[in-house]
Amino acid sequence: MHYVECKGGNVIKKIRVRGYRIHRDLTIVPNDKLNIIVGANESGKSTLIEAIVLALTGRINGRSAAEELNPHWFNALGVADFIAEKAKGQLPRLPEIDIEIFLADVPELQELCGAHNSSVPTEATPGVRLRCVPNKEYWSELQAWAAKPTHLLPVEYYCVEWTSFADQKLNMRPRALTTAVIDARTVRSSGGIDFHLRQILGSQLEPHERASISLQYREAKAALSDSAFKTVNDRISQMHASLHAQPIVLAMDQTARTSWEESVSPHVAGVPFTMAGQGQQSAIKIVLAMNRHAGRSKYVTIEEPENHLSHTSLATLLQRMSSLASDDQQLFITTHSSSVLNRLGVEALQFLGPTASVKLNELSHETVDYFKKLPGFDTLRLVLADRIVLVEGPSDEIIFERVFKDLYGKRPIECGIDVVSMRGLSLARGLELCHRLGKRVAAVRDNDGVEPAELRKPLSQWLALGQREVFIGDVVHGETLEPQLIHHCGEAHLRTMLDITANADVLTWMTREKTEAALRIATSAHALTPPAYMLHAAKFING
Amino acid sequence: MAKRVTLAVAGSRKTQSIVEHCSTMPMDRRVVVLTYTQKNQQELEERLARFAGDHLNVEVLGWFTFLLRHFAKPFLPFKFAGARVLGFNFDGRPYQMAKGKARFLDMGGAAYRSELGRLAFELIGDSRGSLMRRLEGIYDEILIDEVQDLSAYDWDIVDALLTSKLNIWMVGDIRQSVLATNARSTKNKQYAYADAINWFRIRERRGLVAIEESSVTWRCHSRIAAFSDLIFDSSWAFPRTTSKNETSTGHDGVFLVRAENVDAYVAAFKPQSLRHSAASATTLQLNFMNFRVAKGATFQRVLIAPTSNIAEFVRRGTRMEPLAASSFYVAVTRAEQSVAIVLDEPGASTLPYWTPPAR
Repeated sequence: MHYVECKGGNVIKKIRVRGYRIHRDLTIVPNDKLNIIVGANESGKSTLIEAIVLALTGRINGRSAAEELNPHWFNALGVADFIAEKAKGQLPRLPEIDIEIFLADVPELQELCGAHNSSVPTEATPGVRLRCVPNKEYWSELQAWAAKPTHLLPVEYYCVEWTSFADQKLNMRPRALTTAVIDARTVRSSGGIDFHLRQILGSQLEPHERASISLQYREAKAALSDSAFKTVNDRISQMHASLHAQPIVLAMDQTARTSWEESVSPHVAGVPFTMAGQGQQSAIKIVLAMNRHAGRSKYVTIEEPENHLSHTSLATLLQRMSSLASDDQQLFITTHSSSVLNRLGVEALQFLGPTASVKLNELSHETVDYFKKLPGFDTLRLVLADRIVLVEGPSDEIIFERVFKDLYGKRPIECGIDVVSMRGLSLARGLELCHRLGKRVAAVRDNDGVEPAELRKPLSQWLALGQREVFIGDVVHGETLEPQLIHHCGEAHLRTMLDITANADVLTWMTREKTEAALRIATSAHALTPPAYMLHAAKFING
Repeated sequence: MAKRVTLAVAGSRKTQSIVEHCSTMPMDRRVVVLTYTQKNQQELEERLARFAGDHLNVEVLGWFTFLLRHFAKPFLPFKFAGARVLGFNFDGRPYQMAKGKARFLDMGGAAYRSELGRLAFELIGDSRGSLMRRLEGIYDEILIDEVQDLSAYDWDIVDALLTSKLNIWMVGDIRQSVLATNARSTKNKQYAYADAINWFRIRERRGLVAIEESSVTWRCHSRIAAFSDLIFDSSWAFPRTTSKNETSTGHDGVFLVRAENVDAYVAAFKPQSLRHSAASATTLQLNFMNFRVAKGATFQRVLIAPTSNIAEFVRRGTRMEPLAASSFYVAVTRAEQSVAIVLDEPGASTLPYWTPPAR
């Protein structure tokens, strides 16, 4: 049997994070290629990435997990529960951290295969696991702490266990699990290249190339010692400064810590990498990590690629990322940008919701393509909002806001309701997205002279009574918002609200000055009688 | 996938053939060489480093390490959820009646050596194919040296390996099966010791494994080889040993020595003295090595203090039971040039007596 490289084989199939920072028990089933992780602030996007990197590499920011372990790694709720149960006289288990990465069951990963994972029933699969557990050697110290626990765990008495699912201790990252970490958020000191970039750079070189560079660098250093230092050395070797009067000479340091890697930096158009702009830096890192080469990483994590990039630069970078993305690399990207989400494909979304994570990989291809072509659409608003009102355009949005405020004395956003204008985009696509996300939605639309029942028909697959409904004005009350307003408020009252001259025709003026008309109505001190469908929509979504 | 077993005689360069096999295969071939004794493991590692040092994918493991690393450790949760193997208990044994986890692991979570074979074998089934799939993913080929030393559940594990996708090559000398990996187990008693030959013959008939017999010894002189063939009677159907040792020293072959002449013999030939155990040969004050310990070693000459079984075999050709026959076979085949057996009463033996030259 011959070893065959299985392209794209060793993907992460499941991630389970327990007790680590914000994640008490989070399970993510990633997509094989691309994962775009979104969520509100503090929802644990970066923490999830951190957990993945910890379990895959045993390191965090280039340092070993054991060195970095601190009390704040432990989920605060878990610790609080421990203290509470202890106070009640129960005997709870000491808080632990457990990060599991389940990998695809492919031949090349079998060394990592075993049944030491949390699956029920017992399942053998390749995987790696990082745990922070009480160190049994400090049992009495731990007992002493547990007798009077505080919110800061005594991590000195904990140990970090980094193992494969085969219960084999890992000391080094397994070769099949190369990971590139790119964090566009942090501002690096100009002092040098960070650990992660050095790793990415290192992976660009074939072993023989590395060896040859290393050798030539040593030789160059040795040559320097023989030439430039010659006269100096001739002079100082005459001094008898050392303890046993042995001669002293200067030579280039040839020890490991002065290897060539320390003095190499990529240059961009002649400018050292670290002197390049922040945006440029992260763009270079991303492209280096994703570029096709032999030793390239199997997993790439990118945090907020949009940072430090102008809109057009981001578009260029996203373009390049899409073209570099391939079957043998699995990407985890966190973002706050709808552009990133739409361009790379909404199907890749992993939403870290307040209760559970949601993925969107069941969206129809047409819908995914639709949003790809419209990177400007604020998809993330749909993803992040609690409840959503979908309206057709800005004037509908403005009027709805007023209707809602008249009704409840608050703006919708203050009640956790986001009013999103589709601006001519397909309502059906928006509803499909909301359906997959499981969102509560009120969609408001014009009837355009068609019976509401007819208009509902094509949308019905995305609707659910009490959860997602469409609100449409009666045909007899007018085809669009403006005639509906006239019908409900009366022409004279509306004329007052709009503050237009008596000889102007209300409908003509409103139709011509749609947004202006809506703004005037919204800010008018006079009472507004809302169109019935808007009123129903407002009551439905706040109900 | 190829499955074969080479049944060889003592001194047939079994270990060397494994080393040569490893040095001539493709560099990327992932091979594990399994062996039972520590001594043999070191020997293999040393020789592989010398002759196949560039083959970084060749690994040498002891049989128990193999079972711990690839069977017990990764798959224990299939038997006991959440349990881990935390060590290896070489000498301890579970209580006779121990059930569940206590059968296999001691209080500290260390796996009992005596139960490891059974645990490993049961996990093959419990893991529903994962265990074998894992091995197939890690290795291309498994070589088992000294295969005759396996016993009890080990044979069931080999059985499972024979139906895997792995290439398997086993090498051993059934006649030398003195050590058994679990001498006290009652499981597979029918295959114990030299009976192992039948185990292979049954599997050969089923088409699971091909048996190759290698009956050339490079170590033992032809007269020693011929004598060693007599130790097992013809019902065993072992092939006749051929010797390629053509060295002549003037004292070659198998001899009898009377107790009164032992000192003179030792002075004249400096043989390695061998005995079954400390309990035998109490009347002789020599620097003895036990048969067990001598396994795998080569000496130019040996002097054997016989047990009563051996003495009866020499005197009258009395058939020995397999275990006794095996250990005697090991003792005899350590020698390159001469074997001397201390015996005062020759009975019907036709072996020549050595006597000191007259002054």
